Amino acid sequence: MKLGVLSADRPLVWMLPLIFMLVAFTIVPLFYNIWLSFHEYAPFKRQLVYVGMQNWQQLFADPRMWESFGTTMFYFVVVLSAEVVLGMAIALLLDEEEFGFGLLRTILTLTLVVPPAIVGMMYLLIEDPEFGVLTWVLSSLGIMDKSTPILATASTALWGVMLADIWQWTPFMVLIFLAGLRSLPPEPYEAAMLDGASAWMTFRRITLPLMSKVIAVAVLIRGIDIFRMFDYVFVMTSGGPGTSTYTLSLYSWQQTFSFIKWGYGATLSLFALVVILVIANLFIWAARVRW
Amino acid sequence: MANVQYRNVGKSFGSVQVLKDLSLEIEDGTFVVLLGASGCGKTTLLRMTAGLETVTAGEIAIDGRVVNDMHPRDRDIAMVFQNYALYPTMKVRENIGFSLEVAKKPADEIRRKVEEAARVLNLTELLDRKPSELSGGQRQRVAMGRAMVRDAKVFLFDEPLSNLDAKLRAHMRVEIRQLHDRLKATTIYVTHDQIEAMTMADKIVLMKDGNIVQEGSPDDLYDRPNSRFVAEFIGSPQINCIDGVIEAGEGGARLRTQHLAFDLPQGFAAHAGRQVTCGIRPNDVTLDPEGAIVGTLQIAEKTGADVQFHLDVDGTEFVAVAPRSAYRQAGERMSFAIDPGKLHVFDRTTGARLTA
Repeated sequence: MKLGVLSADRPLVWMLPLIFMLVAFTIVPLFYNIWLSFHEYAPFKRQLVYVGMQNWQQLFADPRMWESFGTTMFYFVVVLSAEVVLGMAIALLLDEEEFGFGLLRTILTLTLVVPPAIVGMMYLLIEDPEFGVLTWVLSSLGIMDKSTPILATASTALWGVMLADIWQWTPFMVLIFLAGLRSLPPEPYEAAMLDGASAWMTFRRITLPLMSKVIAVAVLIRGIDIFRMFDYVFVMTSGGPGTSTYTLSLYSWQQTFSFIKWGYGATLSLFALVVILVIANLFIWAARVRW
Repeated sequence: MANVQYRNVGKSFGSVQVLKDLSLEIEDGTFVVLLGASGCGKTTLLRMTAGLETVTAGEIAIDGRVVNDMHPRDRDIAMVFQNYALYPTMKVRENIGFSLEVAKKPADEIRRKVEEAARVLNLTELLDRKPSELSGGQRQRVAMGRAMVRDAKVFLFDEPLSNLDAKLRAHMRVEIRQLHDRLKATTIYVTHDQIEAMTMADKIVLMKDGNIVQEGSPDDLYDRPNSRFVAEFIGSPQINCIDGVIEAGEGGARLRTQHLAFDLPQGFAAHAGRQVTCGIRPNDVTLDPEGAIVGTLQIAEKTGADVQFHLDVDGTEFVAVAPRSAYRQAGERMSFAIDPGKLHVFDRTTGARLTA
């Protein structure tokens, strides 16, 4: 068969589509963003003007940036931990061959097909102070008074948002963990039983180390996702009450599109990129699990 | 240490019955080998003993206590698995010491026991490696070490040597038997290799299709197989089987085959006229020009000290073992004499052993 320019000894031809995509949608925007961070939109001149390091200086001196950075980190740690722990617990419960468990595993994936913005809307209703079911449950249990609106109270609003995220994404963790659990060899478990190990000991000394790579991948994927979370806060609180639920991505969105500070918005998003790169690489280095 | 009793034990996987009404008594401190072809249920029986498979009928008792519903961790059993089942994320040291760690033994006692086991098994230099960094033989020794540090009542071995090369296998046979002689623990060892069974066992339990065919000492099974199946399973090279009819003549009984005739012990005269199969072990014949077994040499295999002659006797293959000095070229006519006392006679249809 004649292939001409598509023959196997011309790899460049085959790689061109991918190279084009990468350049057009990743490399160019990234460098444009870096370029933007040294400029700012001047509304009266109606053009971008060069401002040097001004955006970067402003970034580190901006108390609202530091507040949203703190909110993002707090959200990141709590939500990621909750999703890992809950995801593992549910995966262990569902790792059964008994009748009906296949159906349960399927049902669990349903949350993943709902768009996050819709989940935000749902939780807006669930946590509504007037008729929200969660408000009703919490007040019936005497945990929280009905007069305290969850999403409109500074101390609880972020927790209300976290709930939506955890509800939607824990099943994602369950799926990944289940795939890992189901591929584990059965023999070490039989040996551990005969060695007298309890269920907890078996989990801690055998399952967890065997699952470490799977857990690391899940944490990495979800971690990056959680760090740039936007939908839930945008729909549920718009950063409020006050600025208590502003995350880095919401803050940079606000600077860029509400205040038309394109340069500063670009600087904020670059800062977020650097932070997540550092965290991710530290994690990859620390979690280099070998066996 | 303990005795193990199986009372009318049965096991079914769905509609497939793997073990049928099996009863067996294993005495305290003995080394018992469960021998049989693959699929005969020997591994299933072992796993039921360990508690890794449920018992669907009958009772298994360890030290007089029925363990049918007892969790494996409460049975006090150590097991060496065919594929070793090491803990992949733990070092050799942790693998061997895991059961002690579970039992919350003090750290220095664990270290002492692990190092002692490692010394015996020649693993000292490998203690800080992971299983993935070990060869098959080394992994096997780690699995042994894991069982050794246990003060278990019963030791179970599930074809532990089947993944090793011949030389290492011969070496490990000796090691396992020495280990048993030192610990004096009740041991149940599963294998399909009759040489392992013959060399290691105090008692062999030969199984077929979920039933016990014969149990006894290696000598019992070799010298007095209760059926043609046992005779053919035990012994290497395999026993020769010749079909014939028993005839009673003046002076005693004879076996007549298509072309041959040779003497049987006197008592067989009582079975005159019976269609039988006669088993003759390749080692029980002697080269003799006057011998009753005459055939054409097809091939002579040198095995070192001995020669294995493959003869064509009446169109069926007959194997005879003789010292190396007796070597001949293929195509020669050879004859062998047999000692009537060493013949095994089986009923042709049932395969059961006939006695004089």
